[in-house]
Amino acid sequence: MIGFTVLGGYLGAGKTTLVNRILRSNEGLNPRPKRIALLINDFGDINIDAQLIESRSDKQINLANGCVCCTLTDGFSDALETLMALDPQPEHIVVEASGVADVNNLSQYGNGLTLELAGIVVVVDAESVQEKAVDKYVGRTIRRQLKAADLILLNKVDLLADGEEQNLNSWLADLTNAAAVISCVNCDVPLSVILDVDSRAASADIDMQGHEHYGCWSYSFDAPVSRAALTRFTSGIGTEVLRCKGLFKNEIGGSFELQIVGKRCDVKQTESRSVDLCQVVAIGLEGILDPAKLDALAHKCFKRSV
Amino acid sequence: MNKEDLLSITIYRAKKVITMNPSNPEGTHVAVRDGVILGVGSLEEVAGWGDYKLDNSFSEHVIVPGFVEAHAHVMAGGMMLLPYVGYFERKLPDGSSAPGIKSYDALIDAMKLAESKLDDPDQPLVAVGFDPIYFPDQARLTRHELDKVSETRPIYLQHASGHLATVNTAMLAENNVTKGMNIEGLGRDSDGELDGELREPAAMSSCKTGNRIVQMVNHTEQAIRDLGALARNAGITTCTDLAGASILAPKALSMWQQITNDEHYPLRVAQYNIPAMPGAAAAFDEVADQFVELQKKQTEKLRFPGVKFVLDGSIQGFSALIDEPGYFSGEDHGQLLTVPEQFADWLRPFHRAGLNVHMHCNGNLTQQLAIDTVEKILREDPWLDHRHTITHAQLTTQAQLRKMSKLGLCANFFSNHIWYWGDQHYDITVGPERANAIEPCASALREGVSFSIHSDAGVTPLGSLHTMWCVVNRVTPSGRVLGEIEKISPYEALKAVTISAAYQMHLDDEIGSLEAGKKADFAILEEDPLSVDSMHIRDIKVWGTVLAGTKHQAAIPED
Repeated sequence: MIGFTVLGGYLGAGKTTLVNRILRSNEGLNPRPKRIALLINDFGDINIDAQLIESRSDKQINLANGCVCCTLTDGFSDALETLMALDPQPEHIVVEASGVADVNNLSQYGNGLTLELAGIVVVVDAESVQEKAVDKYVGRTIRRQLKAADLILLNKVDLLADGEEQNLNSWLADLTNAAAVISCVNCDVPLSVILDVDSRAASADIDMQGHEHYGCWSYSFDAPVSRAALTRFTSGIGTEVLRCKGLFKNEIGGSFELQIVGKRCDVKQTESRSVDLCQVVAIGLEGILDPAKLDALAHKCFKRSV
Repeated sequence: MNKEDLLSITIYRAKKVITMNPSNPEGTHVAVRDGVILGVGSLEEVAGWGDYKLDNSFSEHVIVPGFVEAHAHVMAGGMMLLPYVGYFERKLPDGSSAPGIKSYDALIDAMKLAESKLDDPDQPLVAVGFDPIYFPDQARLTRHELDKVSETRPIYLQHASGHLATVNTAMLAENNVTKGMNIEGLGRDSDGELDGELREPAAMSSCKTGNRIVQMVNHTEQAIRDLGALARNAGITTCTDLAGASILAPKALSMWQQITNDEHYPLRVAQYNIPAMPGAAAAFDEVADQFVELQKKQTEKLRFPGVKFVLDGSIQGFSALIDEPGYFSGEDHGQLLTVPEQFADWLRPFHRAGLNVHMHCNGNLTQQLAIDTVEKILREDPWLDHRHTITHAQLTTQAQLRKMSKLGLCANFFSNHIWYWGDQHYDITVGPERANAIEPCASALREGVSFSIHSDAGVTPLGSLHTMWCVVNRVTPSGRVLGEIEKISPYEALKAVTISAAYQMHLDDEIGSLEAGKKADFAILEEDPLSVDSMHIRDIKVWGTVLAGTKHQAAIPED
């Protein structure tokens, strides 16, 4: 399965900044860089070092770091088909949705046979989002995007007056069904939070790309887990965990794959067992993510060994 | 036809020739040389051009300008390649009709019949035209009904809206679509089992062995030929293909050129491509240049007058963006397909390049954006004669008409909605007041907005007489008259399917009326649409067409 991230947000929120950041720094994915394919609206907005560009055509840019960029001019299905025909295939696909796209509809492609949804990330312009959310043309669309978001990047918070950020956060909490909200400037957020993290990474190995205020937690054990134990574990986790990935042996010879991104929590059961060790890793904001609390939760839910 | 024939003069005698040329409204004879009209009048008036051959074959017919359909899609032809199982009867290219399907039992029978005609047992059965909106008292159609058609052959039933499909169990199995899958658009019963309904592209493309066929048919040669046959049967001599083919792709262009330039092909086609998929951006400056280059490749029968933008969804799908007080009932899914602040940037390169732009707006709020954007770019780049057009324009308000008139914007009303969805608009979607004002032709006339009327074929069938009939009578299947006051005369309706349609494509100097120097494109009718009982207009028989002086007789169904 190929990881699939839907990147939404209205015009001017900072989506392109984030796209450029992803293109330049895919090595920040943990524990190793991935071949990321980005489906984007307009090549004109792409701002990367010319040396990084290996080749380009009207509809595709290949980067030296393994990333690929495709336009959405011919529509999402066509672009997706082009990507799937690449050799080697991309390991992760990010679609930059148009400013008025229904991100929830788009995310449904991540529930099929080839793509696995790794989250709906919506970038928000902290200065203008409240005004846009009641705009006669796009208000309903914006509110729908916020509601669909798993993770919200509240961008440009440096432009807010004192106290406004707190108001915005409570306004967002009301609108969004409790999506995780990250305040940021220039969409400067570790890539592992935005896209993916590998459950096999130990917390000490996770590269936060110089973001000192993010923290990690990891945990591993031998014993297989039951569905009930896993449910107890996930319901003990709140939005202090921005992203979490786990791979567990289950008691019936298969495994569980856990993915949490903001408010989204998916558990997938597979019949074959690909791991000997159960491993889980989580990322959150330093000081909010509490490793001791997560240790205690895991300890309570999972038996350490057989 | 040899060269001598071309240069020779033919005078067609008719019971009546209606020209739509205000300075010479009618006659009994029309003289033609080399595909061009020499004049319309009495025999005496048109005989002086030289030796002529008098053609009496239309002496009992009425000749009107060949109809111009300004909003249709090659899909009208493409869907003819698949069995049609819609609620209303539909004419086929060979002149016969597919009956309207009024019950689930009839649907199953029709699909069984289509199934029995497929030789290869592995070939999926793909049918089109079903619309659940006409079965409000029935339980939603599920895979179980389609399993009665076949339990082994995969079946994909595309709905008329294009946004939904219903499939059978074999189709789900063939594509490994299981209930464990989380795609939201997969319909489920109360036990969580898949019910076979697929909503929106992500779910529809999960059954790709069926979905692929629906996408493919429109890109075939036969689709273009069937479009020509359907148009000819309806008296249409110029038809748009809006957003139908990626004409900038060399393969598509050569296919269209090859077919339309064949002397037996009975239709002029005006291509209005979309510069990018709805909502997607592109380097529009470059795309505009490409369209200008493309115009240099146009021929007599294949034109590239401009481009189309799709700005929202549909009213019956509740996805058109409408202003306060919103939808009458049902959940509002209204959504723009473009960021409002960006639309001027998208439109500007085409406007500057002198390309005519048709903007799909079903909702009046969407239409407001289109109008305001055109005003903005006109302030920057004045072009008095742009003839940009709001197409569909169904819920156009009075204020919008006043403004469109000032800005030189044309309207292309989706008048067939009055018949096909008029009752649903009154009862369900927008309520009585707005339903009565839908497709406001009389108001457009009063406010001086040049307008055409259309079928949006294959959404509804090609047929300009039916389209005229809708705006003249404004009746619905339940017998309701939708807004008596918005009715227009048969003459104004005829204008809307001839010269005014040509006008909004900048083709009115060549087609759309019968005048000296213009193309000899005629619709040959058995009765006069201006004097028959107005309820009879859609039943007038069409002999066929004359295109640039060449006769194309409509297909006559075998009994």
